[in-house]
Amino acid sequence: MTAWLVILAVGIGSYLFRISMLVLTRRAAVPDWLQRSTRFAVPTAFAALAATALAHQISTTTAGAGPGIIAPCAALVAAVVAVRRTGSSYAALLVGMPTLWMASALWR
Amino acid sequence: MSTNLQPSELSANAVAMAPSLAQSSLSDVVAGARAMAPWLLGIVPFGLVIGVSAARADVPSLAGWSAAPLIFGGSAQVAVINLLDSGTAPVVVIVAALAINLRLVLYSATMAPRWRDMPRWWRALAAYLLIDPSVAIGVDGYQRHDDIRRGHRFYLGGAGLLWIVWLAAVGLGATAGVALPAALHLEFVIPLFLAGEVAARLKGRPERYAVAAAVLVAVLALPVPFQLAPLLAMGAGIAAGFKVDRAGAAP
Repeated sequence: MTAWLVILAVGIGSYLFRISMLVLTRRAAVPDWLQRSTRFAVPTAFAALAATALAHQISTTTAGAGPGIIAPCAALVAAVVAVRRTGSSYAALLVGMPTLWMASALWR
Repeated sequence: MSTNLQPSELSANAVAMAPSLAQSSLSDVVAGARAMAPWLLGIVPFGLVIGVSAARADVPSLAGWSAAPLIFGGSAQVAVINLLDSGTAPVVVIVAALAINLRLVLYSATMAPRWRDMPRWWRALAAYLLIDPSVAIGVDGYQRHDDIRRGHRFYLGGAGLLWIVWLAAVGLGATAGVALPAALHLEFVIPLFLAGEVAARLKGRPERYAVAAAVLVAVLALPVPFQLAPLLAMGAGIAAGFKVDRAGAAP
């Protein structure tokens, strides 16, 4: 029951965020700073989510529960280099995941 | 590509016949769905992982799956399921998940000028589908097409496909995905995918500084409670981007 209520509350709150600027801009223009900040919103959000997820994985796996530190770092470098070289988002996973598997098999 | 059409051809097309109009609007929807396809490679495993974690967590399976249509945001869903599983107080879970989803206000602002003239029901539906990949596809579509209506269809095509695939992936993970071997380390699929997307977007100097600041703050702020680190990192990144952008614009 608690789980349902929490998920419902987060869902309603998220929808209010989604419609917030659509409703507000009926009366007032979007503030200039907010409008310009959206240029950086997607890259910074993705960078922040990736960094926190990777750092969290690494910090929890140093206890020996996962692939250690070397493999995720190697996979990250390989993924970023592959994307920069090829210009394709596919490359991040097609190169990164095999790198992760190989590196975690080598350094256990 | 249809974007190569001359203006005369376009107007000829417009007066031609209703079927050709319907066909061109359908082709915009399909083009949007196709633009979403590369994203699905990262999103499907993420959905599977969320489904599996929801099935294994101490949360009713249907409630875990229903977070997909109700919240429709992977990071917030992960936070909700993991925090509920670890017995965190409901209020803390809600605040943490909403903090992660606060970026939706920015996405709402991104689309507001483009959707201003659309009917209310359309905006209510389109807003429900707002999330990182659909915003990226939508902005891409509006930049690609001079006719804003084509951008609308492009957005709905991409976002609609994302919605269907997301619900299916989470459902599949919750039912059948429990057998996936842990040795695959699928938990790294999403960080690697996001890192690749960031690497592909580093076009200008302000973007580079914004991303560098976001990464730095995200790592430094990890001990900050309530999973606020991503939000603080976004704020720092956007501020850095502003600063560099303004410095570069000055003569």
